[in-house]
Amino acid sequence: MNRKWMLGAIAGVLAVSLAGCGGGEPKKDQPAASGGGEEKISGTITYLTNRTDLIGNVYDDYAKRFNEKYPDAHVEFEATIDYDKTAKMRLSSGDFPDVMNIPTIANTELPNYYAPLDDLGLTDKIRFPDYKSDGGVLYGMPAGVDVVGVVYNKQAFKKAGIDKVPTTLDEFYAASEKLKAAGIVPLASNFKDQWPVYPFAAETPVALSGNVDLANDRVKTDTPYTLDGPYGQSMNILRTMHQKGYLEADINSTNWEQSKKDVASGKFAMFYLGEWIIPQLISGGMASDDIGFFPFPYDNEAGSRNVVLSPASAAYGVNKNSEHLATAKAFVKWMIEESGADSDMLPILKDGKAQIAQMEEFDSYKPTYLEGKVDTAEALAIVNKAQIVKEAIVQDFVLADNPQDTFDKYNKLWAKAKAEVAK
Amino acid sequence: MGGLSYPAQKKIVLAFFLFVPLALLGMFTYYPAARLVYLSFTDWDGLGSGMSFLGFGNYKEVFTNPDLFGVFLHQIPYAIGGILQNIVAILFAVVLNSTLRGRNAFRVLLFIPYIMNGVAVAFMFQYVFDTTGGSLNALLGAIGLGSLQQSWLGNAAIVNWALAGVSVWRYLGYTMIIYLGALQSLPSDMYEAARIDGANRFQSLWHLTLPSLSRIIQLNMFLTLSGALAVFDLPFVLTKGGPAGASETFLLKTTETAFQFNNYGLASAMSVVLLLLTVLILLAQNAALGRKGRD
Repeated sequence: MNRKWMLGAIAGVLAVSLAGCGGGEPKKDQPAASGGGEEKISGTITYLTNRTDLIGNVYDDYAKRFNEKYPDAHVEFEATIDYDKTAKMRLSSGDFPDVMNIPTIANTELPNYYAPLDDLGLTDKIRFPDYKSDGGVLYGMPAGVDVVGVVYNKQAFKKAGIDKVPTTLDEFYAASEKLKAAGIVPLASNFKDQWPVYPFAAETPVALSGNVDLANDRVKTDTPYTLDGPYGQSMNILRTMHQKGYLEADINSTNWEQSKKDVASGKFAMFYLGEWIIPQLISGGMASDDIGFFPFPYDNEAGSRNVVLSPASAAYGVNKNSEHLATAKAFVKWMIEESGADSDMLPILKDGKAQIAQMEEFDSYKPTYLEGKVDTAEALAIVNKAQIVKEAIVQDFVLADNPQDTFDKYNKLWAKAKAEVAK
Repeated sequence: MGGLSYPAQKKIVLAFFLFVPLALLGMFTYYPAARLVYLSFTDWDGLGSGMSFLGFGNYKEVFTNPDLFGVFLHQIPYAIGGILQNIVAILFAVVLNSTLRGRNAFRVLLFIPYIMNGVAVAFMFQYVFDTTGGSLNALLGAIGLGSLQQSWLGNAAIVNWALAGVSVWRYLGYTMIIYLGALQSLPSDMYEAARIDGANRFQSLWHLTLPSLSRIIQLNMFLTLSGALAVFDLPFVLTKGGPAGASETFLLKTTETAFQFNNYGLASAMSVVLLLLTVLILLAQNAALGRKGRD
């Protein structure tokens, strides 16, 4: 039980320390002029991304189309797995490509690495201009918008005799009961993998409270998590689903890849996730016509449902020391406006049209869209200090004998970290 | 080089040959290690700017925060599994060292799990442990032990034992091969003499084989226990530390601290603590087993 683990340990130690080697500030600017519209769009730039799956197919097409538009310019695509760690290491070494997806660094760090993008003229046209900005300057162009909702298999609903999508929480439970009776697993929670329960940790509480600042308002209190508050109500929905047997038979033994096949085949009926799952289901062979999408009915009041929009995790950043700054910026603009790279999410441009067909059904339920807020530096500092994984709270809450204990535990962590950060 | 004396030439050649390996060693082992120790006293966030010196603050945090240090409790099953693994490995080694028909085939069978990629092993066991469609529960059901069917990775009391079981399965062959190598180097005249003196098989195992293996046992126990301290890949792939943190390990926490929460200073301190604990185990084990070896 040993050698490999020792190697693992050493590798871990090295990884932590190697990241330290780069240490210093990135190289100071070359005299390269920034932002000039007249600068010639030419040269070869590199774009670093996490989408290893698009190398050699979709990206080949992008390279060709970009070159057709700007005959003097070429773009090369580089993808890496374990993107966030790799990207951060390359940032701290000062040697990073012209355009890249910005890794999870504090927004106050952005000016050290990235060029301002306000001169692209898109700042007023996009949603979430403050997602990757610092001091009112845009450094990262968000690639798209995500929305969470219930993705369901229409055939499974039909088989269980559900003729109308549920619009209240009680109807949602009733539909689940019908599905269960028909031998279909109502909701694929993918509980074991932790991250798939994120809508219960972030979006649903905001939708329930109607307060887009909910997560950031946590910094004002020592007890952000209460049973009758939005977090408690939201997590209690999943807990109830679990207790009534509306989730997988053993939620600690779920399988993400399999769950997509099971929803496609009608063994499972629903996901409560982002719109991005829909293209994945279709590329897995599910007929687009069989997939439906509706806003999550989080309570029993009638009327329009709040639906929270959030920036898709990717945002394009341009290396401020790039030798071909104008080309890099032109590429970002092209990615947003022309590439179609947002085919598996909602467009970041306010007047853009979603490429996902199911959004039409989703919009037919007249949801009220709320633009989620980006974490403030203070909230993020407390979360990092307390080492709170928001999805882990949901897991704890669902499995706990007494959910109050879970909240007590996290409130304590929160209050302690908050006091330390304030110091 | 004509003007130089022979010893001087020798020194130059020595220095010349040693330079490359020493430079590599320094660059990729000692510098990062020193840097790690340095970072462990700071609050570095993983990027260039802004790093302040915390003294022993990170170490205090490691030892006083039960969420960090307490996870070592989850690793006890791995240590116990490791001890069992050594006992079983010795038995297998002794059996497979005798003239048994097909012994090479058995050796290969036992060794194969070790050759497999750790993540692939973990991924494979996801299907073994799956509660509804997994082969383990199916097997239990088929042989009438349905009452033992479990949520192997979902029960906080069992998950670490299930994972430790996988690692025993995986490393048993490796441990066994080391024992087997040692056994084959034992002189056979010793056993002949014992047989003439009337020792039975068990007596020669207990009084001859085990004492001769004591150095190797020491080595294997060290590898096993330090491995148990540094469990990572199995829970990382199979459970992500779940359910509700029950299978978190120290190394899992360390990578989480560094790469998810950007607290590289604290993570460095955790790595140093892990290193110190490994040294501590080595010393303790030498003190315990080494003395017995000398008697």
